[in-house]
Amino acid sequence: MRALSPIIASNGFAIFLTIVFLLPITAIFAFVVTTPLDDAMANLGLWMHAQWQWSFPEFDTQERFAKMGFALRSVVIAVGISFFYFGITNWLNASLARVRCKNSLGRQSNIVEAIQPWIFVGPTLVLLLLFLLVPALSTLSLSFQEYDGTPSVRNYAFLWDPDSLGYLQFRLAMRNSLMWLILVPSTCIIFGLLIAVLADSVSWGVVAKTFIFVPLAISFVGAAVIWRNIFAGGGIEPLETLNGMTPSYQIGLLKSLLGHTAEYNEPLYSLKFWGNFFLMWILVWVQTGFAMVIFSAALRGVPEDTIEAAKIDGANPFQMFFRVKLPQIYSTVLVVWTTLVVLVLKVFDIPYALSANDDDKLLLATMMENARNNWSIGGDNVDNLYASIAVMLMLTVVPNMVFNGWRIRREQKELGN
Amino acid sequence: MTKTLSHIVLALIVFIWVVPFVALVSTSMRSEVAAKTSGFWTSFTPTELGHRFATHERGVMEPAVIMRGNILERINSEASGYAVSGDVKSILIKTRIADPENPGKTKLVRKLVPAGEVMDVRGGAFVFETNGDFTWTFDQATAPKPKNLDVFINQDPAFGADAYIEVLFDNKNVPNALISSFIVTIPATIIPITIAAFAAYAFAWMQFPGRDWLFVIVVSLMVVPTQLAFLPILQGFSGIASWATALNQWLTDCELTDSCQVASKSFASLWITHTAFGLPLAIYLLRNYIVGLPKELLQSARIDGASHLQIFTRIIVPLSVPALASFSIFQFLWVWNDLIVALYIGPNNSSDLVFPIRLQKQLGTFKDQLHLLNASAVISMIVPVVVFLSMQRYFIRGLLAGSVKGG
Repeated sequence: MRALSPIIASNGFAIFLTIVFLLPITAIFAFVVTTPLDDAMANLGLWMHAQWQWSFPEFDTQERFAKMGFALRSVVIAVGISFFYFGITNWLNASLARVRCKNSLGRQSNIVEAIQPWIFVGPTLVLLLLFLLVPALSTLSLSFQEYDGTPSVRNYAFLWDPDSLGYLQFRLAMRNSLMWLILVPSTCIIFGLLIAVLADSVSWGVVAKTFIFVPLAISFVGAAVIWRNIFAGGGIEPLETLNGMTPSYQIGLLKSLLGHTAEYNEPLYSLKFWGNFFLMWILVWVQTGFAMVIFSAALRGVPEDTIEAAKIDGANPFQMFFRVKLPQIYSTVLVVWTTLVVLVLKVFDIPYALSANDDDKLLLATMMENARNNWSIGGDNVDNLYASIAVMLMLTVVPNMVFNGWRIRREQKELGN
Repeated sequence: MTKTLSHIVLALIVFIWVVPFVALVSTSMRSEVAAKTSGFWTSFTPTELGHRFATHERGVMEPAVIMRGNILERINSEASGYAVSGDVKSILIKTRIADPENPGKTKLVRKLVPAGEVMDVRGGAFVFETNGDFTWTFDQATAPKPKNLDVFINQDPAFGADAYIEVLFDNKNVPNALISSFIVTIPATIIPITIAAFAAYAFAWMQFPGRDWLFVIVVSLMVVPTQLAFLPILQGFSGIASWATALNQWLTDCELTDSCQVASKSFASLWITHTAFGLPLAIYLLRNYIVGLPKELLQSARIDGASHLQIFTRIIVPLSVPALASFSIFQFLWVWNDLIVALYIGPNNSSDLVFPIRLQKQLGTFKDQLHLLNASAVISMIVPVVVFLSMQRYFIRGLLAGSVKGG
């Protein structure tokens, strides 16, 4: 009897090599072979264009339908390739084992069994390694280098040294991030709890919850557009400036409520310092639904007998909530808190979309973008500075990572696995 | 007492949450003038709005002493959609008056003339009434040139779908963004779910060395900020792209058409990146679900001689549909709504931009065409909101199962 492990290793290696060469080639081949589909779609578009006399230029139709053709085949190919991988590897695995151990079915199945898990987790591990782990580590090393690769701590000094140019921005970004970090999760949690409790006590609670919930489906940029109608405005004078002879228009609802006239054009989220709170509110509006859903489920999970007992003891609704229910869902509150904290730290879209990128509204994520696009003060170290801010961002997430890891470990133990 | 209070408080909160949606939809359905000159809350009641109209069409006028017409008709004959109706309040004209500061000279002022008051327009006496009828009287029969006048009308509410038609058919960007978003989103949802389902099955029910450690590492990657990975990924893709360019040069006659350059930021790079970023959550959700399935199923199937692949496709996948659905809706929403990954890694030529980037650009370009901006935003939201509401049950289940991913 020969040992199995060399066979397993060589089979595994053979499969790996086959895949590394076969998959890209198949993908490229499939894309090349299916190219005529784009033209076919474009022709279909032209035919439909002629049929229904569309108003826009023919060229647009052609372009758009060709793109739809590309969409169609890329979806099919991309999905096909991922199925193809699992099909081909399993077939390879089985047939290689058969070739290597012709006579023993048991040995064959042992080889197949040993390689199979790696086929299943292989793509995951490779992708995570190449797209998260290695990049994260290389960002870390980039942050400790000059642009030419010599090791240095200048990037961090640039952020932390009070005499350096980046210090002011970095300090403001940290201050703002801290404000966001405290205010956004706590506001979401307070609103979420309030809505969860109230919705349970009224008949139209489900409808109310749906309304609070929908913003979760919307992009941050979409939310920014939505709230622009409330916070921005100014109102463009109709046709010409009228020197106050006609009513002056104010199109932002909140600005109008605050009594801002049309001449006062600055959006509320551009205000110095206070603008931060309007940007935060947009995130609160989006994320409260998340807190609400979790709390709603958690409150329903509070054991009935504790509530009954409190009722018998004559607890009023406030005592019922603060003394009986809240302590029992405390760990859920903590989970929601950490989730929101991670989200807030990475928030980028809202200030970016609304161009709220003045120094006093910087966040770590927007500062990174600034560093990459607008900073000349960093000299040639632009990418390295970017990396060092990214590492600072990562550090702020670490406590959450630790907590999450601990929670998941505990959860896995509860699952008994 | 507390009951009433909870009704009131909840209604107030819901009101605050819904008003922005009302703002969005109502602004998108108003005319351009209305949207940029008056707040959305005035769109439900008569509102004074400014319009410009020409007294008559060029070159059709017979000489006459009295010209008659209707301002509202004139406005409606020029604009498409949004029939303007209401009370005509005033007309803004420029006229010369004696300048109090420089005696003997005149200066140009703007003046609002209410209904019924005579004003001097091209030497004729122009009078209009609240219902829009105007008379323009001259001393002798003349054929005046058309005059553009600015008029303020207390306009009745008018809604229409013109902005949607404009962004969808007259504007190339929105349809392109819509198609691009689909191109990005569908593979970026299906690929990770396929890969993750296999991995989750392996982590749950297969034996291999280092399984638990690998699982912990995979799941803890969930909270790594994606920003940390962008630069190296970008460098990697541009390395691959320059290889591909060289290969292209070598294999084809692309130099003749100057089309050798292979873009480093493409849909394919977005698919792979989104797949990688989505995997940790997917594996976490699916693995927890698959572990919970009855173990006897697996054992009896093994005894019957089924391979792992057969067990996976015949038993696990059909049973895991709820978990698969709940992850796919997460990933769908996440990719559809993503701005930052697309910004860094996605294609950056104008026709291939995904919707969030397009919308972010339109916040600048449609600054003065708020009806178009809002219509475009509505279109970008329809797909995720419909998916979300129709699969709400699975979404909530996923939230409750693994409320850890922040993006």
